[in-house]
Amino acid sequence: MPSDQNLSADVVIVGSGVAGSSIANELARAGISVIVLEAGPRVDRQHFVENFRNLENKPSYQGPFPSTPWAPHPPNQRSPNKYLHTSGPDAEAYQQAYLRVMGGTTWHWAGCAWRYLPSDFELKTRYGQGRDWALKYDDLEPFYYQAEVMMGVCGPDPGVEDLGSPRKQPYPMEALPLSYAGQEFRKLIAEKTPWRIVHEPQARNTRPYDGRPTCEGHNNCMPICPIGAMYNGSYSVYHAEAAGATFIPNAVVYKIERDAANKKVVAVHYYDPDKGSHRVSGKYFVIAAHCIETAKLMLLSADEQSPNGVANSSGHVGRNMMDHTGVQVTFISGDKALWPGRGPLETNVIDNFRDGDWRNERGAYLVHMVDDNQVDFATQLAIAKGFVGRELEEQIRYLASHTVRLFSHNEALPDPENRLTLSTTEKDALGIPHPQVYYKLPQYTVRSCDHTRSVFRQLIHLMHGTDEEWTPGYFPQDHPAGSTIMGVDPKDSVVDGHCRTHDHENLFIASSSVFSTVGTGNITLTVAAIALRVADTLKKELLHG
Amino acid sequence: MRLMRRDVLLTTGMSALAVLGGGPAVFAQGATPSPSVPAVDPDLMRFMDISHCLTDRTALNAAIGAALYAGIVQATPQRRGQIQALYDLKARERLITASELAKAAEKADKTLKDAVHDIMIAWYRGVAGGKVVVYRSALMFDITKDAIYPKTYAAGGPFYWTTKPPEVARPTGLPALSPSPFVVEPT
Repeated sequence: MPSDQNLSADVVIVGSGVAGSSIANELARAGISVIVLEAGPRVDRQHFVENFRNLENKPSYQGPFPSTPWAPHPPNQRSPNKYLHTSGPDAEAYQQAYLRVMGGTTWHWAGCAWRYLPSDFELKTRYGQGRDWALKYDDLEPFYYQAEVMMGVCGPDPGVEDLGSPRKQPYPMEALPLSYAGQEFRKLIAEKTPWRIVHEPQARNTRPYDGRPTCEGHNNCMPICPIGAMYNGSYSVYHAEAAGATFIPNAVVYKIERDAANKKVVAVHYYDPDKGSHRVSGKYFVIAAHCIETAKLMLLSADEQSPNGVANSSGHVGRNMMDHTGVQVTFISGDKALWPGRGPLETNVIDNFRDGDWRNERGAYLVHMVDDNQVDFATQLAIAKGFVGRELEEQIRYLASHTVRLFSHNEALPDPENRLTLSTTEKDALGIPHPQVYYKLPQYTVRSCDHTRSVFRQLIHLMHGTDEEWTPGYFPQDHPAGSTIMGVDPKDSVVDGHCRTHDHENLFIASSSVFSTVGTGNITLTVAAIALRVADTLKKELLHG
Repeated sequence: MRLMRRDVLLTTGMSALAVLGGGPAVFAQGATPSPSVPAVDPDLMRFMDISHCLTDRTALNAAIGAALYAGIVQATPQRRGQIQALYDLKARERLITASELAKAAEKADKTLKDAVHDIMIAWYRGVAGGKVVVYRSALMFDITKDAIYPKTYAAGGPFYWTTKPPEVARPTGLPALSPSPFVVEPT
């Protein structure tokens, strides 16, 4: 590592997830010097895989990823939580999980790589709800494609299965074939309902791609793909390093330093695990530290120049917290055996509820029939029912082959009252306050969830289902957004349409924290697309003045 | 005797654990691997005997059994006596099937139901004392191996998942024990 006083680069990036690492890769390939500061450690895939195999509670997505004392992340989604402290009437609905580790939270995503719909960017104009983004779908379309190529996204032929987001190019790879369970579910939906099942676009290889193998269906995309057939941020880290970018692990940024005029950022400061402080200067700075940690850092950097936090003249840093709230039910199908869990986790989606005129009163959503191996669940359930011996084994086979799980992503709205602040009582090992979030579900989302429940009840009836187990209340889908919201007016937003902060001309944010609405599709592809657009802006300014 | 999972793994290759004549007797294994023939551990022998009964199986892996037993009694020391009680009950009433033993156990002493649950969880999930002892060797994967792979161990090649898996008839067997609350651990 260079000596403390000489750390400097053209562009300094905070966070090594999909956003930070992909920007670093683009800039380094263009000959621009880059330093990426990652709060968490560098850990190899096999270590996480072994952690998973030794984990008793296999559905715990955070389980294989223990955090460090200097860069804690939520240990689980339980409330109360040891790190992310939530409050308010729907506190449990905002108990997000994410990772602070080299490569970021996509170590445990399912690879679902949706483009947002054009309407998702114009919710206010089209439906009178929420906000409009300060960019249009067409502004992002080339970067969506660039992100799909970077990740290696497989998806359906748009001529056969139009997902509603206009494309200028086909998907880089052919769609993933549906599992038998997915095929049967698709038949049922086509024959018995007015809805449809589409192939979910996924950052998962259907052929060897980018030096990674074809998916072999280990059914463990979350929490950890054992073979790297699914893209995650670590691959962009490797590519960026090969192109010359410097990544520093265990570097916990705690302050954003500005010039005397408070117009430009001149450096960021980080702690190492022993709380030694280091200063890193640069020409441009990008905060790409996940929705929660990005807002936390901006607030943490408050000083006499910016008493409410950096880039926070609007007072909107930490506000407008959103997510895809979920409805979930598990039941036992009375029809023939499906054996979910053969193949990747999430392959099929009912997409009929992603958009419609009704969005003027209730939120949109999408539905997954989760293709999840149910053997362990079936075993625990059968034992709890009192079975032993031969009868237990018959039950396990039956339940594992007939258990169906449905869940949804329901759209939230930006509400300034849903707010992230710094804890005044809880601190990490470096003395940095934990984040805390007040959350009340918008009625727009509640009405959306009510509609989802009615659809799920129809599906259970169609499948002659029994033993319904509804997940109580509302649960978080770990797609937080909105904490440094985008807008055209500096009075009520933090960044402009290019993700540049209104207050500081060389400070950008690349994160779901800039989202003005949250749509329905998983957020990662949109995070990558806006990050690549930030990289494009930086390249133009650095290389061409 | 405190048997660590590591010790079992170290010694299985040395044949220090063995099954006698197809029966359930198991040699005990000390904390330090030794090439000499170890003494029979009667506690472990009783555990294996009632394990065969409660799974309705004649063959169970003795090395796994030793590790499961160690995990169970380490987490809950009273299980040692309860396993003795199950063994005595089985012998006294000449019980043959899992269902017979489980029913008789709960009738004799309600606390024995917890011991039966621990034994079922151990063999079928590979978990003892809340810790994973084995994963892909758990019986739940043995009885579903014609259809599905343990997570992270798929071996069917790309797109194996498109084929039709086996049909499964609705079971007719009845539970032997009273139902217990089923709590899904939060993620």
